Amino acid sequence: MSIRPSVNSGQGSANKPDEKPFVGPEDLGAFDHAEALGEPGSFPFTRGPHRTMYRDRLWTMRQFAGFGSADDTNKRFKFLLEKGQTGLSTAFDLPTLMGRDSDDPLALGEVGRCGVAIACLADMRRLFDGIDLAKVSTSMTINAPAAIVLAFYIAVAKEQGVPLDQLRGTLQNDILKEFHAQNEYIFPPVPSFGLVVDTIEYCTRHMPQWNTVSISGYHIREAGSTAAEELAFTLRDGIAYADGAVNRGLAVDEFAPRLSFFFDMHNDFFEEIAKLRAARRIWAHVMRDRFRAKNERSWLLRTHCQTAGVTLTEQQPINNVVRVALQALAGVLGGTQSLHTNSMDETLALPTEEAAKVALRTQQLIAHESNVTQTVDPLAGSYFIEKLTNEIEAKAWAIIDQVDAMGGVLPAIDRGYFRRAIAESAHAQQRAIDAGQQKVIGVTDFVDDDAPSVPTLIITQETEDEQVRRLEELKATRDQAKHAAALKRIHDDAKAGVNMMPALIEGAEADATVGEMAEALKSVFGAYDGGPEW
Amino acid sequence: MHSTKHAPRVLLAKIGLDGHDRGVKVLARSFRDAGIEVIYTGLWQTCEATMHAALQEDVDVVGVSLLSAAHMTVMPEMLRFRKELGVEHIPVVLGGIVPEADYPKLEEMGVAAVFNPGSAIDDIVAKMRQLAAARPKLAIDEIKSGYEKGDPHYLARLLSAIQLEMKLDGWSPPKGNASVIGVTGSPGVGKSSFIARLGHQLRDRGKKVAVVAVDPSSPVTGGALLGDRLRMMTGSPDAGFFMRSLSSGPVQGGLGPHCREIVDALNGFGFDYILVETVGAGQSDVAVRDLTDHIMLLLMPDSGDSVQFSKAGIMEIANCFVVNKSDLVGVEATEAQLRSAVGGDRPIWRVSTIRDEGIEAVTDWAESLR
Ligand SMILES: Nc1nc2c(ncn2[C@@H]2O[C@H](COP(=O)(O)OP(=O)(O)OP(=O)(O)O)[C@@H](O)[C@H]2O)c(=O)[nH]1
Ligand SMILES: [Mg+2]
Repeated sequence: MSIRPSVNSGQGSANKPDEKPFVGPEDLGAFDHAEALGEPGSFPFTRGPHRTMYRDRLWTMRQFAGFGSADDTNKRFKFLLEKGQTGLSTAFDLPTLMGRDSDDPLALGEVGRCGVAIACLADMRRLFDGIDLAKVSTSMTINAPAAIVLAFYIAVAKEQGVPLDQLRGTLQNDILKEFHAQNEYIFPPVPSFGLVVDTIEYCTRHMPQWNTVSISGYHIREAGSTAAEELAFTLRDGIAYADGAVNRGLAVDEFAPRLSFFFDMHNDFFEEIAKLRAARRIWAHVMRDRFRAKNERSWLLRTHCQTAGVTLTEQQPINNVVRVALQALAGVLGGTQSLHTNSMDETLALPTEEAAKVALRTQQLIAHESNVTQTVDPLAGSYFIEKLTNEIEAKAWAIIDQVDAMGGVLPAIDRGYFRRAIAESAHAQQRAIDAGQQKVIGVTDFVDDDAPSVPTLIITQETEDEQVRRLEELKATRDQAKHAAALKRIHDDAKAGVNMMPALIEGAEADATVGEMAEALKSVFGAYDGGPEW
Repeated sequence: MHSTKHAPRVLLAKIGLDGHDRGVKVLARSFRDAGIEVIYTGLWQTCEATMHAALQEDVDVVGVSLLSAAHMTVMPEMLRFRKELGVEHIPVVLGGIVPEADYPKLEEMGVAAVFNPGSAIDDIVAKMRQLAAARPKLAIDEIKSGYEKGDPHYLARLLSAIQLEMKLDGWSPPKGNASVIGVTGSPGVGKSSFIARLGHQLRDRGKKVAVVAVDPSSPVTGGALLGDRLRMMTGSPDAGFFMRSLSSGPVQGGLGPHCREIVDALNGFGFDYILVETVGAGQSDVAVRDLTDHIMLLLMPDSGDSVQFSKAGIMEIANCFVVNKSDLVGVEATEAQLRSAVGGDRPIWRVSTIRDEGIEAVTDWAESLR
């Protein structure tokens, strides 16, 4: 199979002017259907992780959004539970995501803005007040301080008397992509990675129903990578986590079924479908051949997808509805397990209710009107789709091999490999747009004269003030001796290199805040400055 | 082809906790390609530290990238510090997601331009050039007298005047008696991070410190990405720590075109230490020898530099050595190799900049120079 050198535009799967206008059997070469595809639900799972896919069970329509304070979010959760929803998604505000307390100087103006502020156990308690943690599944989008936030959650469960093995949910907990792309890191890569492995180890032993890491390509792609880079970096990160857990002494089949993935659905329709199919095929081989996993569930790549926020435009915002629909359809034809569709105004503001509804309706239209759900992997066997799948797979393997040759993900981060690649791809895309090779409807072409209309953000300072006041009160009234002892234990355990979860849970129970616990870890781990590349 | 002499200097800053840096990075690269010198100060900066950096770098424009919708809080702060520091001649522009309704308010408060995610790069570049060209020029006499009064703003302007090869009419800065220390080593060994720590320790001991850091410029466009400052940003700016980023221009040897005069100007201003970071081209960074007797070579574990130990060049002219990143594996081996290569006459220190370990000994040495 010959691979065309990738045009680094990230939006260039196919049908470039210099390519053949159509693809035929000769382009596929020796293509062994059984080996390359199998059947849906069987190795290598190119056609889908389950045999009947959406016929028996639609993907989960998971719309994720933040709502101010813990009390507001709690009300929203209860409303959703009453309506029969059992999965709760938690978005945190920026200070929490960065492991900082609501009263930290850098938190000014950010508290409760894009999600809920959870600075201490009391905040988490209010978030789940009156909600039985044994009965819900909670997804928490948090990374650098994930272990600390999980400790808050565990402490609430303990207060409620819920045995840990009954807890169900997902922690994003993917620190590697923070170093590559999203920049929400605190400590240097090695100890940060260690914390992720701590949570994998702890959950595997005590919370077997918990999805430990959602290995994310979304942010890598949004930061500007190509589709092949997104695919390769994400899967290579997955390999790194699996290596970390194995080196900790866990058996691969104990933890691998609890790893899940998260990909971006960008504009290039067929390329995105091919990306998901290739992802499953590569991961199945990685798990079976590289890690010698025996359990079929370890081989399955299960993924969440979100439409590409970065493709939305401020100009002619209604066009975004169409972009999202196409991207969402690619996710479905690619066989995703859950999907978030962006609201047309999402990059500009927290979505308005109307926009959020249209986004959800888009998924429902695909699910219930288009009939695309009735045949599993309907595009299989298309010369073009199979060729694309092969090509993106080959590109991804080549990148995975490169990272292997550098000694793995952590050494490659040290060299700035990922950040450089992503920045260069982003720059290449911008050049393609500037040169008119890549059109952006409503921005570079088909531009309307009237100025863009952007909804004004409504930000209340009240949430922040109230949150800061409560935190200050807590800091003044908690059991100071117990608090100091817990922080000391965090420091000592970090120094000793043992699993941090027990100490963090103790910290949570002693009313230590997210910022204080992060500081205690920083005093041993150091802080990270972003690495050599910028 | 543009000449470095006229390359506009633009400082790009991200303020607050928001980590979305795709836009600012794409812009930095596009600016470089368009012949602009870009100083990027990295994530999580405060308004105060950013304006302070703008003063020292004497940039033509400050660009703030904000995707967290905090512009109505952040921009007034920026402009307040601009006024406080007396650098209102430096235009401040904003890029990010800004509701249209806020444009007039921003303009009124003094923001020179606002760009949104759909703005064409060419338009942004053109605006930068226009703002740079419109910046009021100072007469050299005013610069000299401000400098002689010890005002860091005029020091910064003098350094620009030197770079622009303005006529100083026979004037030269007074002779100083700073210890000038050249810091060299391969790209990424940690020169900037190390200088930042050493500088701060010297500050803690009451010394005044200046840093000159050179990064390569694009031979084609004359633009440059100057990233050293990124490692030296601290939350609270300090007048006794002055840093200037330079581009190497077409000059070989690891330093910029006017490095000597710039060091002299800093020296005459009364700094106790002037730390000079070379480009980091490795063996060819030998120009620093003409600038100072104290040349410090940084190495790191497993850097592959070890094989070059026996080669001539930088190893010979260095008179002390720092093995940085001692937190990484293989540091013992690197140090042992180094010791056997250089013998026992020249000092060798082992440090971890990231953990702030081992730097005191280097600071002691620096103090002993005086
Ligand atoms: N592990 C570790 N990393 C370090 C240490 N010191 C610096 N670094 C990292 O090395 C990278 C490069 O640091 P810089 O200070 O920019 O290196 P430099 O030599 O100035 O680089 P150039 O100016 O680009 O040649 C950064 O990511 C630093 O965080 C250290 O002691 N240990
Ligand atoms: Mg440097």
